Amino acid sequence: MDEISKQPTIERPPVGDVSQYPEQSAEEPIVIANEFADVVIRKVETRNGMRLDIWSPRRGSRILLDAVALDCLTFQEPELISELLERRPAP
Amino acid sequence: MNTKPESQSLAAWVEETREGIDSGRFPARAFNDQAVYDLEQERLFSKTWCFLAHESEIPHPGDYVTRYIGNNNLIVARDEHGEIYANLNMCRHRGNVMCKAEMGNASHFRCSYHGWTYKNSGELVGVPYMKEGYEGRLKRKDWGLVRVRVDSYEGLVFGCLDPEAPPLDEYLGGFQFYLDLYLKHGLGGVEVHGPPDHWIADTDWKICTENFAGDGYHTPVAHQWGFHLGYFPSSGSTHSQGWAVSIPGKGHGIGLGHGPNFPPFGGFPDDLVAEMKQSLSPEQVEVFSRTRTAVGSVFPNLSFLMQPFSLEPGEIGVRFVTMRLYHPVGPGRMEMYSWCLVPKNASQEYKKEAYRAYTLAFGQAGTFEQDDFENWTKVTQAAGMTMVRDVDFPYIMGMDSAPDPEFPGPGHAVVPYVNDTNFRNLWSRWADYLAGEA
Repeated sequence: MDEISKQPTIERPPVGDVSQYPEQSAEEPIVIANEFADVVIRKVETRNGMRLDIWSPRRGSRILLDAVALDCLTFQEPELISELLERRPAP
Repeated sequence: MNTKPESQSLAAWVEETREGIDSGRFPARAFNDQAVYDLEQERLFSKTWCFLAHESEIPHPGDYVTRYIGNNNLIVARDEHGEIYANLNMCRHRGNVMCKAEMGNASHFRCSYHGWTYKNSGELVGVPYMKEGYEGRLKRKDWGLVRVRVDSYEGLVFGCLDPEAPPLDEYLGGFQFYLDLYLKHGLGGVEVHGPPDHWIADTDWKICTENFAGDGYHTPVAHQWGFHLGYFPSSGSTHSQGWAVSIPGKGHGIGLGHGPNFPPFGGFPDDLVAEMKQSLSPEQVEVFSRTRTAVGSVFPNLSFLMQPFSLEPGEIGVRFVTMRLYHPVGPGRMEMYSWCLVPKNASQEYKKEAYRAYTLAFGQAGTFEQDDFENWTKVTQAAGMTMVRDVDFPYIMGMDSAPDPEFPGPGHAVVPYVNDTNFRNLWSRWADYLAGEA
C-alpha cells in the first residue's frame, strides 16, 4: 500500500449532519455501538425502492446503501474496512 | 506492610526461604511485603504462563476482554479471521489506554487521544494526518500494539511475557490430566456462564493459590456451617479422605476429596455422565468417580473447584465448577476474578442450577467465599506485622509420605487429602522463580 497517495475525497459528505426521522415510523432505529463509535441504522423507503440509512451522530455523516451496495459488502474481506480506516479520521 | 529491605538481604531471604521449604517451613513475610511483591512482578509474572481468558468469553470475531499479566493490562481479542491475539492495552503513539471497556466487540481499536487505529489483531492501520505530519517517515508495520505470546489448552487461553519460556504444554507438565476433570464435562466441553465476578480484596494472591491447591484441612472448620446444616455433602469425621496430587518441579497441585457414601459422578445429570465417560480416559474416570471435591491450582494464580452444593439440606446437591484468577495489585492486595463454568452440552435447566449453586457458595456474595476471605484478609494483615517478619509457618504434613502406587494419574499422589505436600511443591516452585532459577 502506498502510504503517500491516499487522499481524502471530500471534506464533508453532501448529506447528513441532521438526520430526519419520520415521526410516525413504526420501526425503531437500530443503534450499533461499541466504545469507539456509534451509528444509527434505519430502513428508508424511497418512491421506488428502499435503502439502508447509516448515520453517525457524532460525526454527522451519513450513507444510504442500496441492495447492490450491501450485497457487494457481504463478499468483501475484513481488510477492506482496515483500508478504509487508513484514511483521515474524520470527514 | 513491611518496609523495603536492602536488595542483598532480599536475595539472602529468598535463599533461606528455599532451604526452609525443604524442611517444611515457609515465612509469613511472603504474604505481605513490598519487596517480595516487586520481585514477583519482575521474576515470576514476567516468566510464567498466566491465564488470560476462556475461549467462550470471546466466541465471535471482534470479541475482546481486557485482562492482566502481573501489572500489564492486555487486550485479548479474536480477530476477524477467528485467531486469538493478546496485545498490550496501550497505544504505541503516546501510550494511552486503547480499550477502556473490559469487554466488547470491535473490528478495530481507535485511540481516543490522537486517533491511531489498529486492527483487533494489533496491526496499526490508521494514522491521522499521516502524509501531512509524518512525511513518509512512519512505517505502520513497525508500530503495531505490543504483542504477547498466547497458547491454549481445552479452551483456556494463557499468555506469557517471556519469549524464551518453554511451551504451555511443557509448563503444564501433566496437570492437563486434572484440568480435564473440570473442562471435559461432556463431549462439547465447558463454557463460561456469564462474565466473571470480580472485586478487590486485601488478601495476598498466594493465600488463595495455596488454598485451592488442595486445602481440604480448612473446610470442616472455616465452612463448618455447610457441614452442620447439610448443604455440603461431607462429614467432619471422613473429610480427610482422598488424594493430594502435585506435579513436582512445576508448582501445580490438586486435592481430590473423597466421600465414602458419595455416588460416582453424583450431582451431574445422567446424560452428561454418559458423555463424560467418553470424553475422559479410563484413568480419569477412575479418579473422577471417586472424587467428591476437586480443588486445584495451576501455578501461579489460576484455580478450579468442582464440588456439590445442595439447596436442600441432606441432599447430594448440584455439582458446579468455578474457575478463579488471583490478580495481584499490591503487597497483600489482589483483584479476584471468579467464573462459573458449565458443560456446553447440558440442558439450560442444569446450567441454571449449577450457576445457582455456584453463586450460593462462591462469587462475591457466596457463603464459602465470605468464610474464606474473612480468614485470608486476617492472615494478610498478620503477615504485615513487624513482629511477624521472621516468623515461619509449619508445612510438615505428609513430609514422609510415599506416593500411592495404585494411583492411576500423573504426578506425585499421596494420601490423605489433608496434606502439605502440594504446598511445599508450590512454594518451592515460587521460590525458584524469585531466585531467578526457574
